[in-house]
Amino acid sequence: MRREIRFRLNGAAVAAQVAPHETLVEVLRESFGLFGARESCGQGLCGCCTVLVDGTAVSGCLYLAALAEGAEVRTIEETNDLDAVQQAFVERAAFQCGFCTPGFVLMTRQLLDEIPEPGEDDIRHYLSGNLCRCAAYPEIIEAVQLAARKRRGGKR
Amino acid sequence: MKRATQAAETGQVGRSLTRRESWLKVTGRAEYVHNLRLPGMLYGKIFRSTVAHGRIKRIDTAAAAAMAGVHRVVTGEDVKTIVPDPYYGPAFHDQPVLALDKVRYVGEPVAVVLAADPHVAEEAAALIVAEYEELPAVYDEVEAMTSKAIVHDALKPAGTFPDLKHLKGVKNTNVALDFRLRRGDPARAMAGAARVFEHRFRTQQVMHTPLEPLVSVAECTERTLTLHTASQSPSFVRIEIARLLGWPENRIRVRVPYLGGGFGAKLYIKLEALVAVLSLLTRRPVKISLGMEEQFFTITKHASTFRIKSGVDRDGRVVARECEVWWNGGAYADIGPRVTQKSGFTAPGPYDIPNVAIDSYALYTNLPPAGALRGFGIPQLVWAYESHSDMIARELGIDPVEFRRRNLLREGRPQATGTLMKDAAIEKVLERTAALMEWDRPFERGAGTVRRGRGIALGFKACIANTASLAAVNVNADGSCTVYTSTVDMGQGSDTAMAQIAAEALGIAAEEVSVVHSDTDVTPFDMATLGSRSLFHSGNAVRLAAEDAKKKLDALRQELGLPPDTAIADVFRAKYGMRAGSIMGTGSFIPPYTPPDENGQTDNATPFWMIGASGAEIEVDTETGRVRVTRLVNVADVGTPVNPRIVETQLSGASIMQLGFTLFEKMLFDAQGQLRNASLAEYRIPGMLDVPASMVNEAVVAAQSTGPFGAKGVGETGTFSVSPAIANAIHDAVGVRLTELPLTPEKLWQKLAEAR
Amino acid sequence: MVPFELAEPRSLSEAFPLLQEDGARPLSGGTALMLMMKAGVLRPARLVSLRRLGLSEMQASRSGLVIGAMTTLRELEKSPEVRRGWPAIARTLRTLANVRVRNVATVGGALAHGDPHMDLPPLLCALGASATIAGPRGERRAPVESLYAGYLETTLAPGELITHIHVPPLDGRQAAYLKCTTRSADDWPALGMAVVLDAKKREASIVVSAATDRPTRLSEVERLFRGKAIDDELLNEAVEAARGIDIEGDLHGSAAYKKHLIGVFLKRAIHEARNASR
Repeated sequence: MRREIRFRLNGAAVAAQVAPHETLVEVLRESFGLFGARESCGQGLCGCCTVLVDGTAVSGCLYLAALAEGAEVRTIEETNDLDAVQQAFVERAAFQCGFCTPGFVLMTRQLLDEIPEPGEDDIRHYLSGNLCRCAAYPEIIEAVQLAARKRRGGKR
Repeated sequence: MKRATQAAETGQVGRSLTRRESWLKVTGRAEYVHNLRLPGMLYGKIFRSTVAHGRIKRIDTAAAAAMAGVHRVVTGEDVKTIVPDPYYGPAFHDQPVLALDKVRYVGEPVAVVLAADPHVAEEAAALIVAEYEELPAVYDEVEAMTSKAIVHDALKPAGTFPDLKHLKGVKNTNVALDFRLRRGDPARAMAGAARVFEHRFRTQQVMHTPLEPLVSVAECTERTLTLHTASQSPSFVRIEIARLLGWPENRIRVRVPYLGGGFGAKLYIKLEALVAVLSLLTRRPVKISLGMEEQFFTITKHASTFRIKSGVDRDGRVVARECEVWWNGGAYADIGPRVTQKSGFTAPGPYDIPNVAIDSYALYTNLPPAGALRGFGIPQLVWAYESHSDMIARELGIDPVEFRRRNLLREGRPQATGTLMKDAAIEKVLERTAALMEWDRPFERGAGTVRRGRGIALGFKACIANTASLAAVNVNADGSCTVYTSTVDMGQGSDTAMAQIAAEALGIAAEEVSVVHSDTDVTPFDMATLGSRSLFHSGNAVRLAAEDAKKKLDALRQELGLPPDTAIADVFRAKYGMRAGSIMGTGSFIPPYTPPDENGQTDNATPFWMIGASGAEIEVDTETGRVRVTRLVNVADVGTPVNPRIVETQLSGASIMQLGFTLFEKMLFDAQGQLRNASLAEYRIPGMLDVPASMVNEAVVAAQSTGPFGAKGVGETGTFSVSPAIANAIHDAVGVRLTELPLTPEKLWQKLAEAR
Repeated sequence: MVPFELAEPRSLSEAFPLLQEDGARPLSGGTALMLMMKAGVLRPARLVSLRRLGLSEMQASRSGLVIGAMTTLRELEKSPEVRRGWPAIARTLRTLANVRVRNVATVGGALAHGDPHMDLPPLLCALGASATIAGPRGERRAPVESLYAGYLETTLAPGELITHIHVPPLDGRQAAYLKCTTRSADDWPALGMAVVLDAKKREASIVVSAATDRPTRLSEVERLFRGKAIDDELLNEAVEAARGIDIEGDLHGSAAYKKHLIGVFLKRAIHEARNASR
């Protein structure tokens, strides 16, 4: 039942033996020791398992790993240096327990790629599929706004 | 979004230092037990009861055990081979590691399948068949008082708490604890009151939903057991596992990295006893990682019913108050009896009432167990007494803020226990809330189908007593410093706060301090990270340990004839002739406490008081009953904030969590005790779109004289008053009163329809 | 999830035989299917992925919008043609599930799932959309409305697949979809209400969801509106008629409450539609 899939993971060509029923978040954990995407609700609602597949954010807990064959997969572990979004999250205290944070960071990057100057309403809608039980939401909104400013500043 | 901050940044305490673990968390590198994999590890999948109350007739595990890849299937009988008397609990030894003889709620663990592949374990668990002889069940906390359905055949107090000992072996009751308080002569005062008001309020069963679901891993050698567990109480875990196994504590090691949220869910024993036994049975590392849905069957928040009656004199002063509170503890007591007592004695609210009667009952029912959830019962109480306050004020035609002013429990006055209020900025908190709400200004009330209202509420809590914290502070040869504490950082920022406290005491920068995570082989005893106690208790222990280290350093300087301002690194170099050595300071903190007498009276009920008020502005859609909170103001007495920014986020986060409990979160059971919404798809928690457009979170200028550098706990304070503030605002907007949480659109619509 | 076989056919003709065996299920975006499999409600022996069938193109023209069934909800939402030509669709998608789900979930999947709480089916029904359905015995075209037989039940025969969805142009009609959530803001709806008004013909197309076991047309109300200018009196009559349909309560609201909401949201959706661009 297992088959080999090949894909790019955080910029490197990789291969993994996966069973059809294994999800992407499981394979990242079991085969690659990547824990930044983590299963929580298991239903695609909380965003803790957010992974980028071919530049698009997906819920890793609902995404069959076998379908990543040939794809470009990126996770929070892609970089060690903090980008504008991560810096903003740190500066604005936009997390508490940190379990949901990688998902929020990845989704915020997607949001700012799409809408460089999001209004509060844009932020709330775009991030409505990410849950934070510590409820750092007001700080996250501030962090997204700060990250947007930092990104604009960086370009100038 | 508008927000207000106040910060006085001086020294190490009072700095809004960013969290120590920031890089780890924003890069996904923080360590959680969730991540842990060990060589040869087996995964356990729990098979759960499908009936609410029944005698186990048969458990057929043959098909599951026969499945390829299954290592072993374990039932309660197997557990007994490791632990002959496998019952645990902080207040009562009532909870079996796996069900024995009886099941007491739907979802109770009955058996476990172990396999190297978690998918196999899950598939095999579905093949287990259990037969039960069903017994009558009881679900409602008030019915449980008199029900013929008895959840436990006999009560089994743990003996840890002296005031529970007399309950040992008591039969034919679901009452796990009845707490009683009497002050003055409430009956006579009530009879003589100008007006008497009586209301009844209810709260619903809800769940913590930490996003890192409960998870524990056990590994053993022939004489040691190591538990890696997402626990708020590593010291308790070690003590309780040692007791169950009959081992000395030093053969058991409990390690806790970061927690992906706790909120009270990860306290005492949850999965630890189970994985310990499974590991000892198989001699393999064993991990059990609950799914989100399974958390609903593990620990919840008490549903409650509160009957409150007040006698008021002609001047609008409350002269007598009767409180009767029933706490729905579910099938196992967990820490419910503590909730009943420790919260119960604050049931009359932060008011100066000379005549008080409180009866607070912890009850067993056939529902998932209830324990502590961010507030330890206080939000349930404040919900009732602050709704009640508003109802009286409006009935008497007194402004709600003015009514509270008139009755306020002021500094130096006796609380219901007789304990005199000290370092409790109740008045400041109320006045600041009113000011932030611009209470004296006219308020725009909306028109047509959108009506606006505003409300406030004020609550307080006594920190749990009698509890101890120990800490050690090691000063290294280069002058850097390491703090050893068993306080668990579950997101509240304790690592950062402890570093700041140690730094302040040592006169170094907080950046030079690192904090070692709980490891019972390394870090000293701490009662638990709960009830907003850690900053005060562990913070004091850390402060004492740092001061001890400083004293030893000063002594060393003196011994070596060095000037008092010699840099730490130079002191060590002078002593050891090279970069070597270290100095360990230790601190032990247990605040004074007097247990209550048979009338609940004591001159020292608590080490400190926590005060929290909320103000809410809301809009009601009068056609749908939907409530939108447009502004939420939270004001608290947290003493002197150690880290003002983190304090603010704690208040904010707690209040938004409580917003979910207020407006929509509810575990829904059918008539057979089956939970109908055990998933985040059907049990909704607040998301971005539910957060009020405007929030203000503020700590009043205050100091806790006994706290570390004037500080006290804050983790729960933001939860206290949100629910009644919103209900009061709804009444203000549309003139109807809801007395049962959550405040759903449908309930409000019904009330509005009745009022038309 | 229990193990299964995963097939990725590259054409419809390859797909049909794979789908015809017992225990085979088509997999499009998988966001709903995975949930049912994880919960153990569905235990398929084989999943047949449709992603290599080349059904993800979208075309807007004067004669309407043709959406390949494997078009993701997010592609539909962000399409400039859709925003211009069918703004109600783009607006509806903004609050449908979340961005990650919309990135993966497909239009075909959203129609074939059959959960009455979904947002797109009632709106597409009200717009008069139809679907091309392919099966081993050939193709057929059917109104979206006719796809639903009951709760999670469709009229698709085993082995049949939706390949395309056809949405007629608005042509001056005005459309709106409103939903009522009763718990968190982004909860599954207690009620969905899609309204399409044709001022020229004096006709209305009104479909309700989440309160019934499938998207349900309010035919009585449509009859009332036919040929008339909508005024307050007529609206009140319509509310009464709307509340006459059979309603089911669920975790989001009782039948009585939903009956009430139908009236409220009928008025609101009509109001919204009248203010919508044509």
